[in-house]
Amino acid sequence: MKWEVRCRETWLHETNPSLKLIVLVVLFFAVLFIHNPNVLINVSLALFVLFCFGTGYPANVLFWLFLPFFLVFVSTASSMMMFGEGTTTWVRWGLIHITAESFWRGVHIGFRALALGLLGLIFSLTTRPVPLFYSLMQQLKLKPKYAYSFLAAVRLLPIMLEEFQTIRYALTVRGVPNKGGLSKVKRYAIPLLSQSIRRAQRIAVAMEAKQFSGSGGRTFYYEIGFGKYDIWLVALFAALMFAAYYVGVHYPYISISDVR
Amino acid sequence: MEVKTKGLKLADILTTIVIAIVFGIIYKLWGPLYSAVGVFGFHLDQLIYGMWFIASSLAYLLIRKPGVALLAEVAASSGELIMGSQWGLEVLIYGVVQGLFAELVFAAFRYRRFDAFVVSLGAVGATIGSLIMDFYKGYIEALAPWNMALFLLARFIGAILISGVFAVSLAKALEKTGVTQMWRPASKDDYDALNR
Repeated sequence: MKWEVRCRETWLHETNPSLKLIVLVVLFFAVLFIHNPNVLINVSLALFVLFCFGTGYPANVLFWLFLPFFLVFVSTASSMMMFGEGTTTWVRWGLIHITAESFWRGVHIGFRALALGLLGLIFSLTTRPVPLFYSLMQQLKLKPKYAYSFLAAVRLLPIMLEEFQTIRYALTVRGVPNKGGLSKVKRYAIPLLSQSIRRAQRIAVAMEAKQFSGSGGRTFYYEIGFGKYDIWLVALFAALMFAAYYVGVHYPYISISDVR
Repeated sequence: MEVKTKGLKLADILTTIVIAIVFGIIYKLWGPLYSAVGVFGFHLDQLIYGMWFIASSLAYLLIRKPGVALLAEVAASSGELIMGSQWGLEVLIYGVVQGLFAELVFAAFRYRRFDAFVVSLGAVGATIGSLIMDFYKGYIEALAPWNMALFLLARFIGAILISGVFAVSLAKALEKTGVTQMWRPASKDDYDALNR
């Protein structure tokens, strides 16, 4: 949810948020159970293409969003490559022991981290919080007191960021050194949390007074339904997975079909 | 008199979620730090992994009601997801599992003990939850035995230190600010103060 970045609304924005969430969670578990690196590489590539052309953000924004994913890819893959178990040794150097098995397993989990990351990024780039929670209430019967609490909390985010900035200035003015790990977390967390809790309690009183906690039937300002793009969404992902599987099995890049 | 409703009240839910969103910001910032530490290898990054369980510990310590640990962890991870986490959708699923395991530990103590020991056990529970997910995702069982032992040890120690001990010290500091008064029943001292 990037407030400051302008983006073009694509068809992914128009899909039903609950359906999109369910489809992506199903894909998440599907990716967890892919053990063939060829299939997984295809899935990652397909998701990458969708991320580049389906989310409607300019190329430079996409580049900066993608950079941390690349770091995760490298760090996840390297640890398994160097310290994994295997029989066909390639390099042995002190504790580092690279084998063919561990190398490909490392590549595999690197791509898996990439695919899972892209799934989340595609979701958060194309979903606005308000339609998401309205849809969760209407389609998945999330209780209104939970959904509206989430929405109220999301609205508090900018205020929290402002307070964070204020605390930083205050500490600088008082000459508090800007270092320390957990003590630094504490220095910021205590004022931020206590202010937020006070504010939350006040908002809760107001919301209870307006019957947001009620359990009776509600009407909604936004009615979220389904449209033709929802059929596209399901069809596209089904086709992508099938194509990735078919190509991966019949035209493999590498001869390993199971990294376990 | 207010009718006793089943489950959490709106005030509890809202404060839990707000606390969790604060930690959602911290979780998001923790990601790059974790990756940076990971470059050093030898699973040093696992020592700071425990930060990702702290929302459930702290919410449990402050609000002290059934369900808040799970709710806090889910809310914090969805906050992290909405802000564009580098792990994407994974954080939401991990959050659900970690919160569930921490909640189970607190339920085992019937939501009656709120000390460092129980919270540390909750952190251990959340760690087990995260490890279950890792077994599916990262094939960690395929690491060399010495390496895996190091990995597990680092994660458990980090979780206990950050989400156990550190969470208790945070909660104590917050108790001093007086913001938790709303959830605490009036004590003998409070009545004495009125009579003075």
